[in-house]
Amino acid sequence: MSTLTDDEVTESESLPPTKRQRQAARLAEHASIGVRALLVKILLLGIVDAIAVWALFILVMKEQWVIGAIVLVVTLLANWIYFSPGKLPAKYLTPGVIFLVVFQIFVIVYTGYIGFTNYSTGHNSDKEQAVSALISSAQERVPDSPTYGVTVVENLEGLGVLVTDPDGDVSVGKPDSPLEPVRNATMDGGKAVAADGYTSLSFQQILTRQNEISSLSVPFSDDPNDGSLRTPDGQTGYLYTSSLVYDQAADTMTDTATGTVYTDQGTGAFTSADGEEMLPGWRINVGFDNFTRAFSEESIRDPLVNVIIWTIVFALISVASTFFLGLFLAIVFNDMRMKGRKFYRVLMILPYAFPAFLSALVWSGMLSESFGFVNQVVLGGAEIPWLTDPFLAKVSILMVNLWLGFPYMFLVCTGALQSIPDDVLEAAKMDGAKPWAIFRLIKLPLLLVSLAPLLISSFAFNFNNFNLIYMLTGGGPRDPLAGVNVGATDILISMVYKVAFTGQARDYGLASAFSIIIFIIVATISIIAFRRTKMLEELN
Amino acid sequence: MKVKTRSILTAGALATTAALVLAGCAGGADDSGDAAATSTLTVWVDAERVDALKDAAAAYQDKTGVEVDLVSKDVAKIKDDFIQQAPTGKGPDIVMGAHDWLGELVTNGVVAPIELSDKEGDFLEVAYKAATYDGNQYLLPYAVENLALLRNADLVPEAASSFDDMIAKGTAAGVELPFVVEQGAEGNPYHLYPFQTAFGAPVFGSNEGGYDATDLQLGNAGGEQFAQWLAAQGVAGTLSTEITGDIAKEKFTAGQAAFWLTGPWNVGAAVDAGINVEVDVIASPGPEAAQPFAGVKGFLLSETSKNKVAANDFLVNYLATEDVQTALYESGNILPALAASAEAASSDPIVGGFAAVGAEAVPMPAVPAMGSVWQFWGIAEAAIIDGADPVTIWQKLATDVQGAIG
Amino acid sequence: MSDSTTTRAHAGTASSPRALKMAPDLPRRPFDLRRWFFATGWRHIVGVIMVLYSVFPLLYVLSASLNPRGTLTGSNQLFSAIGLDAYARLLNDPDQPFAAWFGNTLLIAGVTAVCSVFLGALAAYSFSRMRFKGRRMGLMSVVLVQMFPQLLAVVAIFMVMSTISDIFPAIGLNTHIGLIMVYLGGALGVNTYLMYGFFNTVPTDIDEAAKIDGASHARIFFTIILRLVAPILAVVALLSFISTTNEFVVASILLIDPEKQTLAVGLYKLVSNPNYADWSAFSAGAVLAALPVMALFLFLQKYIVGGLTAGAVK
Repeated sequence: MSTLTDDEVTESESLPPTKRQRQAARLAEHASIGVRALLVKILLLGIVDAIAVWALFILVMKEQWVIGAIVLVVTLLANWIYFSPGKLPAKYLTPGVIFLVVFQIFVIVYTGYIGFTNYSTGHNSDKEQAVSALISSAQERVPDSPTYGVTVVENLEGLGVLVTDPDGDVSVGKPDSPLEPVRNATMDGGKAVAADGYTSLSFQQILTRQNEISSLSVPFSDDPNDGSLRTPDGQTGYLYTSSLVYDQAADTMTDTATGTVYTDQGTGAFTSADGEEMLPGWRINVGFDNFTRAFSEESIRDPLVNVIIWTIVFALISVASTFFLGLFLAIVFNDMRMKGRKFYRVLMILPYAFPAFLSALVWSGMLSESFGFVNQVVLGGAEIPWLTDPFLAKVSILMVNLWLGFPYMFLVCTGALQSIPDDVLEAAKMDGAKPWAIFRLIKLPLLLVSLAPLLISSFAFNFNNFNLIYMLTGGGPRDPLAGVNVGATDILISMVYKVAFTGQARDYGLASAFSIIIFIIVATISIIAFRRTKMLEELN
Repeated sequence: MKVKTRSILTAGALATTAALVLAGCAGGADDSGDAAATSTLTVWVDAERVDALKDAAAAYQDKTGVEVDLVSKDVAKIKDDFIQQAPTGKGPDIVMGAHDWLGELVTNGVVAPIELSDKEGDFLEVAYKAATYDGNQYLLPYAVENLALLRNADLVPEAASSFDDMIAKGTAAGVELPFVVEQGAEGNPYHLYPFQTAFGAPVFGSNEGGYDATDLQLGNAGGEQFAQWLAAQGVAGTLSTEITGDIAKEKFTAGQAAFWLTGPWNVGAAVDAGINVEVDVIASPGPEAAQPFAGVKGFLLSETSKNKVAANDFLVNYLATEDVQTALYESGNILPALAASAEAASSDPIVGGFAAVGAEAVPMPAVPAMGSVWQFWGIAEAAIIDGADPVTIWQKLATDVQGAIG
Repeated sequence: MSDSTTTRAHAGTASSPRALKMAPDLPRRPFDLRRWFFATGWRHIVGVIMVLYSVFPLLYVLSASLNPRGTLTGSNQLFSAIGLDAYARLLNDPDQPFAAWFGNTLLIAGVTAVCSVFLGALAAYSFSRMRFKGRRMGLMSVVLVQMFPQLLAVVAIFMVMSTISDIFPAIGLNTHIGLIMVYLGGALGVNTYLMYGFFNTVPTDIDEAAKIDGASHARIFFTIILRLVAPILAVVALLSFISTTNEFVVASILLIDPEKQTLAVGLYKLVSNPNYADWSAFSAGAVLAALPVMALFLFLQKYIVGGLTAGAVK
């Protein structure tokens, strides 16, 4: 983090201080630290270090070297920051930055990484798991084979099975030696439960060794076609043959029925010579494939322009409408001569305090064409297709979003209004300025300075406001003749969701690639806006 | 810089002491952690089903010593969470799910087959069929859900013989709406499917292995007839996209609708509202019987479970027994998948009514291709009901779906 | 026209301290309707209209929660039946430990709000009062980071938490601390910016004066600055509390045991299956969940509109 590199401390003076001044300031700073403050500081850092030492202890025990190294470096860095003089900005920024890096930056980086993989339905874990899932699904019961009674037994060479067939004949076998008849087995209710030379396992003992028993497979005879006996539940056994054989050395899957050999050709799944893929496959790196798909995906290309325009319009109008309504209300209720402001304020916060999806549902019910409150009661039985006409659906979305969003702006503006010094307003009043002029020339510019970033971030939030669209209209109304799964009110993010997650496969790789693209778009717009709002100049 | 050295020393001393104390605590905690030897089965369950399973889980623990930890999950997220978490080894051993997830789950390699072939005859045919995917059984079925026709017997004393007869009887009853079925702006193909099959237009054709995703039957001649019928109903007002699930429920429970095509989940609301409910076979508008989709609920075994033996025992040897299925039925009031329990449950007129319709029901397709059907299907039906040209839209639907399936 | 009531004066009291100061013993002017209307009367009209707009949709929720067999949007006849069945059902069901959800939500949202404000204020102070390399970049990036679409964040968050869980189960999956940590990832965000803007309006002469008196930067921050920016701290705390209370996606992934879950997660389970959705109970839960938010707002209101800064500048 570049923010932590510099240790220059001055008090918002435009002139760079000389070295001597800096030194003096630092000394003064140090001398001024009280004993109590020092003690608190030591105590807090001591706790942090204690936890870090303990964490390192655990990490070393568990042999997590990478994470251990990170914890060590961060701890040393923190101690260095807080025990060395100066480095004030770092002292104030470090706590928040640590959380930011772990839970936000890392999440973004990881999502970005997914964008370069084929993570999707059929490719959702590693190769090892894909192989074991394929093999486990390839177990086919030998046709017309009976069900055997099974007792899991053990001798010095390991686990085996004591098997009773439906005729009452008993045999015993192990993974490396096929079933052989046994005499003098102890029977219980028609099932052999013990045999000489073997210890039988109780159900409790079986439970403690489930993984071994799940993979226990005993050949029925020397002929592999007779199948092997496996016991899914440790009490009964069945004969299975596997329709797939995995050759570990050659890394191939062979279909025993057809003889087709499937190899790993680097496509994230076993593939036959004529290109047939066997799923489940596994996650691999696919480079920029998802990005090229994102730009060539047919279901996206046609509606893309309209969707982008609507997304920007939606976000802009949402920000403007919520902000101005919120600001207007904040000013109206900021007059202390007014009675009952508390009551009005608390009721106006409510739309923001209720779960948004519940409100969206209520609104969609209220906007229903033939049964909704808006048409039936407010408009006296009108038949206005609020949610089914493409244009009106957009209007409805904006109306509902205004309802959902104005309390936030109201709160923020109410807070920000407090920062406008009274004397400025008093002076303007003395000079005979009208309220509107005071608002336009003094209040609004002052507010915008501190709220501009908020408006930009609200724009970004609405740009990605998937939930509202999804809950209120589901992106609809859709044109059934368009042939794409995109509706009139779909914004970019909800369109991405539909493309990546509906249909036959949930494609996390594609969705991540889109997330990155959308992020680049939003960030670009925002950076331009930041520059336009003169915010950066203001910082200097 | 005296301050600095001193403080570092102090901090170091403090840190070491605290670290030793904490490490001591942690060490102590570690030893007790592995002492419990009995295994625990983690089972993810739909939130509204936890109650029904509580007793069964406790009884199993008494019987075997295996603890069954029921985790109530949000139904809307249970499948995605399972697919995401199973590969990490953090997921459940067993997850409750619907049979139509099988395609996606098997493709992802997160479910393991279970050995049910000995018990084929014990289950209802539709349940066993639904539990099978690609020749293996993956699902231990425990309940079958399908639509049926609820009739307000105080308004209409006799069952309807056909769709038109139903509308006539409902109209004669003199209430606001003769018949309601849940639709919505985006349509609801699941609720219209019985009428579609009545015209002989299933989604996919079948072969001996189940549905054949390469054989799309949606756009056949029967499909077009169905589309024309939909348009006619839209004009007549018997079907409307304005009727959401909430409105349909409100109208029927208020006695303002004579017939309601819905599932067993809504019967309770109607009975509680004091409606005299009879369950009828779905009145067919076409030449064939109206076959709704059957949804089979059941339990799936995670491929990455570390307790497969206990899980298999719990599923196959315990949940598939008549006592347990009957007990589940009694606490959950949903048609059991086990034939013997289903028969006992069918003595109840409501459950029996649904079971009679269920005998005609077809399992909802579990093939991944179904995802492509859903995304166009409802929109097309809604557009036809709202007055678009039926044949054009229906043919477009067939081409879009075929194109998406590839 | 900002309030300049002192902190001790009750927010919302109609008597203006300034007026009192000017004319403590004059007889009250006779009531003049026109003047009243132009001063505050029209504000009441705006207030009534806005309250109707804000509250009306929520009446459906209230009506559904009181109606034992109610649908949420099925009917426009509100309050056709009144009963507390849904509340009773919600509070007495052992499978839905509503009280535990409520407590968890207050705990998680409260701790998150306080810590977010604290971390954000620390950062805002350094951005506002210090000059260092990368400051502008840092300011920009805390806002930009939060613009990343959260569609897939859970995949990564689950992975991080699952890794942490393997090593330190006490702060991993299924723990409140773990969830709070994830929420604190967002503490340095746009709220930091909001505070930064507000910090900038506190004149630096105050810091300078305190410095001359020999106060350290920490003391200035904790004893002077934080008090002067109380309104914005209260606003940010409230915003953070509300958003944490309503957060569902991350909480539902991390919290597994029902008795550890939050209101959002627990209540959503009541309606996530459309066929079995219990809207009455859900609405009852939502109404109860809105109470702490209202209470917190009422409690914080006097800080939010307290005229402290104004006093400080004079």
